[in-house]
Amino acid sequence: MRLMIVDDSMIIRNRIAVLANNPRLGKVDIVGLAGDGEQALALAKSKRPDVITMDLTMPKLDGEACISELAKLLPDAHILVVSALSDRATALRAIRNGAHGFLLKPFRDEDLLNSLVELCK
Amino acid sequence: MTCRELGPEDISIFSDAICEYFETTSGEKAQVRSAYLLEGDYPENWNDFHGIIPVHGDFTGTVCFSAPKQLLTHVLMLMGDSSYSDAAHLDLVGEIANTLSGRARKHFGEMMKISPPVAFLGKHEKIKTSRAGRPYAIPFTWRTYEAGLVVNLCTL
Repeated sequence: MRLMIVDDSMIIRNRIAVLANNPRLGKVDIVGLAGDGEQALALAKSKRPDVITMDLTMPKLDGEACISELAKLLPDAHILVVSALSDRATALRAIRNGAHGFLLKPFRDEDLLNSLVELCK
Repeated sequence: MTCRELGPEDISIFSDAICEYFETTSGEKAQVRSAYLLEGDYPENWNDFHGIIPVHGDFTGTVCFSAPKQLLTHVLMLMGDSSYSDAAHLDLVGEIANTLSGRARKHFGEMMKISPPVAFLGKHEKIKTSRAGRPYAIPFTWRTYEAGLVVNLCTL
């Protein structure tokens, strides 16, 4: 798995990166860490991740717009939204725009692992 | 333009979000006390670290999470983070403010637009935002730490 982590919180990026080392996920290469949507698109072009965790509320380019662009750029990549935005309309729109899963913040370690395992089946 | 202030049922959404955040993060619920209307802009027991979420869309105002450094250090430890710099504490206080605000959208809907957090350090720093309505303070205790949320929102 070539994983890119997109979140404006450094703590959340680091936490996901550490959890991605769990043996349940097999071999994971973290190919990019981005703090906003613009950075994510630039990294996606050069690093070609196949799995992406994506926050929604971010500066510069938000997660929703970034998902739409990534779906065109990397149509085979699997995108897991990791966000606190808990309304149904936002989750449905993210899925419609190209995301494959939605995990609500705050999350437990096993919630993230289960979501990534499910995403990569 | 008329502006409807939030009522107790709206404020309880934020109290629930505080409980849920700490229970999920630590397995231990926060003890949330009764919300009250602030006389001024800030509670008496204002803390060192603050994360503010500007809100717009069908709403105007801010949500501000305020916590002591020790609480944030404890949460960083639980998250497995080994960086205890001010930058890490500021990142976390902003992230908690963002998470609590985001959870409130389940109740308020997607037209409650949430901006990325602005975090700052300093007990006597003032929140540089316009006053939207009557601010509510929601004090709580998690473990032995006292912290709070100030919700200053109204619906347009």
